[in-house]
Amino acid sequence: MKNHKLLSLLVVVVIFAPFRVIAANVKVIANRSVKVDTIYANEVKSVFLEESTSLRDGTHVEPVFEKDGPVHEAFLHEYLAAGTDDDLQSYYRALVFSGRGSMPKQLGSDAEVVAYVARTKGAIGYVSAETAVGDVKTLTIVSEGNGAQRRLITRVEPDYPNTLKRLNIGGTVRLQLTIGPRGNVEAIEVLGGNPILGESAAAAVKQWVYTASRSRTITQLSIPFDSQH
Amino acid sequence: MHKRILSLVFALWCFQAGQFALMAQEFKLLDRTVQVHGFLSQGFVYTNDNNWLTMNTSQGSAAFTDFGVNMSSQVTDKFRIGAQGYDRNLGQLGQYHPSLDWAVADYRLKSWFGVRGGKVKTTLGLYNDTQGEDFLRTFALLPQSVYPTDLRDATISHLGADMYGEISFRHRLGVLAYTAYAGHRNDSIYSGYPYYLSSFGADIKSYGGLQYGGDLRWSTPLKGLLIGASRMNEDITGKGSAINPFDPGAGLVPYSESSKADWTNQFYGEYVVGRFRIDSEYRRYWRNQELFSGTSESFADIRGWYVSGAYRICKRLQIGSYYSHYTISNIVGGALSAFYPPATDTTIPANHDYDKVITGRVDLNKFWNVKVEGHFMNGYGSGPYPNGFYTQVNASGFAPNTNALVLKTSLNF
Repeated sequence: MKNHKLLSLLVVVVIFAPFRVIAANVKVIANRSVKVDTIYANEVKSVFLEESTSLRDGTHVEPVFEKDGPVHEAFLHEYLAAGTDDDLQSYYRALVFSGRGSMPKQLGSDAEVVAYVARTKGAIGYVSAETAVGDVKTLTIVSEGNGAQRRLITRVEPDYPNTLKRLNIGGTVRLQLTIGPRGNVEAIEVLGGNPILGESAAAAVKQWVYTASRSRTITQLSIPFDSQH
Repeated sequence: MHKRILSLVFALWCFQAGQFALMAQEFKLLDRTVQVHGFLSQGFVYTNDNNWLTMNTSQGSAAFTDFGVNMSSQVTDKFRIGAQGYDRNLGQLGQYHPSLDWAVADYRLKSWFGVRGGKVKTTLGLYNDTQGEDFLRTFALLPQSVYPTDLRDATISHLGADMYGEISFRHRLGVLAYTAYAGHRNDSIYSGYPYYLSSFGADIKSYGGLQYGGDLRWSTPLKGLLIGASRMNEDITGKGSAINPFDPGAGLVPYSESSKADWTNQFYGEYVVGRFRIDSEYRRYWRNQELFSGTSESFADIRGWYVSGAYRICKRLQIGSYYSHYTISNIVGGALSAFYPPATDTTIPANHDYDKVITGRVDLNKFWNVKVEGHFMNGYGSGPYPNGFYTQVNASGFAPNTNALVLKTSLNF
């Protein structure tokens, strides 16, 4: 009986165990030809699964993936709801062999992705949050809260404290905002990232203004701090 | 003979294209990138009783081969073109007669609206449009109650056009994808249904007709859950010659059959969580035909459903299992009713096929996999619409139960 219970527990643990703990921090980058500065999380999914070939402003985009590694896995897990690269490959092969799509470009490293995105009009990719991206644009990702459809009217860039920048301390800060009916940011909660950068991001975001709405809305967003840029 | 030569040329071309593509899966043409992809699969089936899928499986059969090569190119931001050649040999079916599987020009104006035309894969349920590409799934054979491989031609594509798109709902209510299509279906004379009719002495020269329908699928707010529904209507005509059933000694007479009502409804759901995937589908196919220029009439009600589960144990190993449930009932009216009494009792083996399946899949590398699959079937659902079991290859009659071992390996690039 005891063995039976242990076996059942083992089966449950094996079935529901995640593939691995995803630790990598990812940022989404785009060629300078992409006009927007923010991208909704559901847009990221649509674009990288070729469900959509353009962003909400009509800009045509072409996704580029990494081949393997923790950044790739973290991106699949966080934004595409795909378990593994094998799931992604199966998804794309189904499109290819039914005549509904093409295999996406996959590159071997962050540096290759940055270089490709920099020289390719409309290219959109992802790299580790710590990667220097040079002249490539880093997009702020807005999560799908009930405020995801509210348009940002006024944006104030956060200060990057010199000490942290000099020490190459960067990364991505995740915030949850409560936006009032008039569009002002009423409350901010720092969900993750360096606490000092979080404080700086919150101070800037507090000054943001969104379009008006009938009700108060909540949304999440990620703000990257790139120490190399 | 010339078709055999054509087939050989096609196979060699596929092989050459495959070799080329393995080195470089894309090349430039007129400053546009052209992607090349292909696959080849080879199976072996052994059954303890009954010959299955037109193969001599009770002796063990490797007459289970299919392959295809496609090329496609994104010509502009919104416009892409592509085509795929396909060939197969499944026992008595296909016989290495190559076909154009799909050839599509696709213009996607917006995410919510696009059109594609040409020979287009038909959207019907979860897997209709990729049913030939087993490397995409855990299982060697899809549940035959819903995706009968011997009847692939009946649903696989249409020569016509699709409208399609995806609509994202606000307030995190998910995404709705739609497809509406219309076109002409054209079955190969080497496919399952003409082969089935040959058991009555019919020699089918042409089989096909209008096919139109639509599909709605909703990616729900619950991560990994998709549900959907498909509908397909058809107006099919088959022509050829047949032995006169009323006077077999009189030789061949013209044969024709045509649809009075022909529709398929399919409902489906898919749930993926981590390494675990559950699928379930239900298909009902209703078929009312005029036979022999309207002198007889046939009503067939075909219902199938399955529940499947698959689990990826590690990167290289997957296991899966499904239960597939198929029933058919049929009534023949008019002059032929004297030969075919009503067959409406779906509890007897002749009118059902219940299949319990277990599978293991090993991915030797990214491009090559091997599958081992066991089928434990009760019933043979042999007519008047085929479902894997044919009298021509079971001359001494059918046993009620069939166990099958399926081994399959696939390469793709």
